[in-house]
Amino acid sequence: MTGPKIYGVIPLFGGIPITQTAVSSFVVMLLLCTAGVLLGYGLQKRPSRRQALVEKGVSMLYGLVEDTMGKHNAYWAPYIGALFLSSICGTYIGMTGILRSTTADLSTTATWAVMTSFLCWGCSIRANGFLGWLKGFTEPVAVMTPMNLVSEIAQPISMAFRHFGNIAGGGVLTSLLYSALAAASSMVLGLIGKSVVISALLLAAGVLLLAAGLRGCRRALACKIAGAVCAATGALALLGLTGVPYLEVGVPGILSLYFDVFSGGVQALVFSLLTMVYVGSACPPPEET
Amino acid sequence: MTGFESFVGVNPWTALFTFCNLLITFAVLKKFLFQPVRQMIDDRQKEVDQMYAQAAQAQQAAQTLEAEYKGRLQNIHDEQDALLREATARARQREEEIVQAARDEAQGLRAAAEADIAQARKKAVHDLKDEIGGIAVEIASKVVEREIRETDHQALIDSFIQNVGDAS
Repeated sequence: MTGPKIYGVIPLFGGIPITQTAVSSFVVMLLLCTAGVLLGYGLQKRPSRRQALVEKGVSMLYGLVEDTMGKHNAYWAPYIGALFLSSICGTYIGMTGILRSTTADLSTTATWAVMTSFLCWGCSIRANGFLGWLKGFTEPVAVMTPMNLVSEIAQPISMAFRHFGNIAGGGVLTSLLYSALAAASSMVLGLIGKSVVISALLLAAGVLLLAAGLRGCRRALACKIAGAVCAATGALALLGLTGVPYLEVGVPGILSLYFDVFSGGVQALVFSLLTMVYVGSACPPPEET
Repeated sequence: MTGFESFVGVNPWTALFTFCNLLITFAVLKKFLFQPVRQMIDDRQKEVDQMYAQAAQAQQAAQTLEAEYKGRLQNIHDEQDALLREATARARQREEEIVQAARDEAQGLRAAAEADIAQARKKAVHDLKDEIGGIAVEIASKVVEREIRETDHQALIDSFIQNVGDAS
């Protein structure tokens, strides 16, 4: 497995590499900014359908932030929203096939995790003062100080690797699946291609199954799929095209639904939620006077 | 130069780009999406609250007015009743006065008429008496063929007339 491709190096400051991640990140930023400006443009007291949807989304975001961090922390909602949208769009942009998911690069997730940590520390210092923040590490007892320090350092690392690992792992699994299916198809074609008779029989059986499926017998979908696979195998074997990875059609798409769509959404939500929880606990509610 | 980054690794420049991009996204979304939408929702909420408050106020005012007008109407009804009752009483009294006055006047008229009648009667009786006296003397003189002096037989005539008067 390789990391993001380096498109080129700007010869400044000892060389600035332009990686796939950086390009994807710029694209995501431009997309989000354009969408944000377009969606937030021309708001009216009597909302259109588009505006009603946008308002629903923004209200949900504010509701989630207020539920998780408390009403006094509602002003964090824009940051959380930007983080969530950047994360989910950064993951989904990998599905275009041209760009790579920004979140499949540790540079991105580590940056975001460190930002979360800095925000936590900033909030803590603002709430308790610098010495109060330092003193917080010795609580509840002074013996716990090393543990607290370790947990403080481990927090961004775990966040970064969780997000990165899930997305990159999905990518790795998908590519493994692709190569496995390619190997399987060349093996099947190689075995069947040795005998013309078997190939022709398989092609005929496949066509029959496909016809039955199209006419609408019981289990029509299964008949269609099996027929198409058999017919394709027979045809390719007859033509002697053993290098065509035809088994790659279909199965990876279903897996991509889980690894890219579901996992990407969940990881974006988890990252945002963890940021909310950490920053929220660093910003306690104002003292009741 | 093209190539690949390592699979697990942090490129500081990419990290910097990511940091900047997130900040820009955050700033733009906040300025152009979240704040205006939030502002709009808040404004609308405020307007709705205001409308409800105004409606409640208007209802309150309407109820107060209604109570006031009901009271006023009641007063007017009471006043009307009182006026009617007073007018009726006054009319009855006036009626009685008029009737009384008419009765009194009729009484007076009757009394006067009765007095007149009595007087006329008395006069008639008197006249009749005189006339009858004359006639009687005439008849008597015819009967006795001689002059009867009225003065001589006054007593006789009077007693006669008295009898005639009583008989009539």
